[in-house]
Amino acid sequence: MALQDVCGLQEPPLFSQWTAPLSHFFMPENTSHLNGGWSHGEDCSSWMPRGGGMSPLEFYMPVAEYLTESPLRFGQTNLISSSTNLLTVDHLRPSLPSISLPTLTPCSISPGVPLPFTLSHGTTTLGFAFQGGVIAAADTRSSCKGLVACPSSPKILPIHSHLVGTTSGTSADCALWKRILARELRLYQLRHRRRLSTGGAAKLLSHMLHPFKGTELCVAATLCGWDGETGEDEVTERYANTQASEKKNINTQREASNSRSQSEVSSGATTQPITGDDKNAMSVASRDATKNYSSVVLSRVSGPRVVYVCSDGLCLQGKLFSVGSGSPYAYSILDSSVYWGMSVEEATLVAREAVYRATHMDAYSGNNVDLYHVTAKGWRRRQREDLKEEYYKEKERERKSVEERKTEETMMVK
Amino acid sequence: MALLDVSGYKHHSSSQFGFKQTHLLDRLNHYSFGTKSPEFAVPVGVDPSKFLKSCSGEDGVCIDLNHGTTTLAFKFRHGVIVAVDSRASAGKYIASQDVDKVIEINPYLLGTMSGSAADCQYWERLLAKECRLYKLRNKERISVSAASKLLCNMMLGYRGMGLSIGSMICGWDKQGPGLYYVDDNGTRLSGRMFSTGCGNSYAYGVVDSGYREDMTVEEAYELGRRGIAHATHRDAYSGGVVNLYHMQEDGWIKVCKEDVSELIHRYKKGMF
Repeated sequence: MALQDVCGLQEPPLFSQWTAPLSHFFMPENTSHLNGGWSHGEDCSSWMPRGGGMSPLEFYMPVAEYLTESPLRFGQTNLISSSTNLLTVDHLRPSLPSISLPTLTPCSISPGVPLPFTLSHGTTTLGFAFQGGVIAAADTRSSCKGLVACPSSPKILPIHSHLVGTTSGTSADCALWKRILARELRLYQLRHRRRLSTGGAAKLLSHMLHPFKGTELCVAATLCGWDGETGEDEVTERYANTQASEKKNINTQREASNSRSQSEVSSGATTQPITGDDKNAMSVASRDATKNYSSVVLSRVSGPRVVYVCSDGLCLQGKLFSVGSGSPYAYSILDSSVYWGMSVEEATLVAREAVYRATHMDAYSGNNVDLYHVTAKGWRRRQREDLKEEYYKEKERERKSVEERKTEETMMVK
Repeated sequence: MALLDVSGYKHHSSSQFGFKQTHLLDRLNHYSFGTKSPEFAVPVGVDPSKFLKSCSGEDGVCIDLNHGTTTLAFKFRHGVIVAVDSRASAGKYIASQDVDKVIEINPYLLGTMSGSAADCQYWERLLAKECRLYKLRNKERISVSAASKLLCNMMLGYRGMGLSIGSMICGWDKQGPGLYYVDDNGTRLSGRMFSTGCGNSYAYGVVDSGYREDMTVEEAYELGRRGIAHATHRDAYSGGVVNLYHMQEDGWIKVCKEDVSELIHRYKKGMF
């Protein structure tokens, strides 16, 4: 199974339960895992696979009855509850039958988990790739229908040193899944001694979210990262060799762009395999025929990457994404100003402007703007900026230019 | 009554009739269709609002009255720029790529259309008729404010009955350049910049970003073109060509009619 490989699953003896049929988990006797001796507050940890002998991507599919319970009971401890209680009608709230709940949630796809209130997904996040790396920017307003729940929530969460993810959708879901993803990527890194690529991470996230399709889970994330190794691994060096021989013009371009953004890109081993092996181009020429396929595949290995993952199961790779209720306002600015060869300063300005315009027009976005820049050296975070200041600065600039124009005219008249 | 004055109703011809309410009977208002009492004409036995409510529920037919287009207009130093796309869609079918969404009411007034094409064309032609009548009666041109008010009152008369119009009335009158947004709910707003239709958010971003009070005329044209071009790029219900008008002190001029694909190609050249 490809997913097993991605997670570096070892021989069967270590993870014997993974190879058991999935229906195993739906058997009634397994519910003891969920309910045995736990207080209600610990239930959230049932979603996380426990350590020890369980395989890494095993999910505790909750008992069917669990899903039909009203979520209003989540916060209330009910230590007496055992598997049998779940099957009976809830005596505390006799007016709430299990499935046919009143239409609190007109947009509820599945009748399984009714929401206590309508969630709104208000935000503006964006991510785009250019020659100097990837810029990820987002506003910082967390809204709950009409209330600004938090004016300074971080919507860009770093996942590992070279990957950040922007979050949109339900804040709780996003934070949880980001942590799960970060853990899985760390495990991958420890097992394989290299970081998983952004595309791989996106695929992993999308597969992890797939079992929840049709539920009210709502996560729309843009993974922005820089792929490519620092040359520690001989495997990647070999790949880089073939790359050098096959796609020389791309390398010179990258070198040119590397030299241009010298301050950002590490002068370390990333460039060495490429430049050093120009001499070896002839020697590897004989290997080209066999390595053709790998060079085609691996010409995409290194560099900035932006992938959009959504809880519907969508996984899209692209150069530019904007997510959230404020995204249309940001899209038009990004469409007109983003191009591959832009400098880091330009890119930062464009990202800021896009978020600012979106917050100006969209009620659910606002407060501050967070900006992260990912390069081969890792991610760097810009100081959080208050957009209110930006608004007043712009008004001031307008006023000044109008005054200047007036004085110019009066001078010209004279 | 202000409406009475605007419509240029002459008092003496009402001698045969009685009092305040029946005054309006005399003028065979086009949209009263000869009704006995002053009300707006609606087919007998039909209750449009109830019918519409049944259409907006989850079960059954759902008529989604979206304004599928992008139009924008903004005021600046040298007048008003009006830019519209030209796509007419019927659900997911593109009915036409070459629709005229700006109605030239008179040489000093323009009206844009978004929403239901039929509604817009009918009601704005009606507005044009009323503006012409006003000019003939009062020997002076109608102000932008009054024209938008006329349209707004027509909309209020049929409120809740399923009209779908998002229109901007732009003109130049004694008070200078004027821009009003009128929609089917009866909203009437004066402002510096508006954009209507489902592509409006895309247009807002780029026009807000590039707007300067002291733009030159060429810059303003470019901004209007860009706004529509980027909106059509991202919105499925907008497309076709950009029709660009410039409202000046001595009337409006039609600036250009450019294909959006050409524009996007030009803007994106060398980007990726």
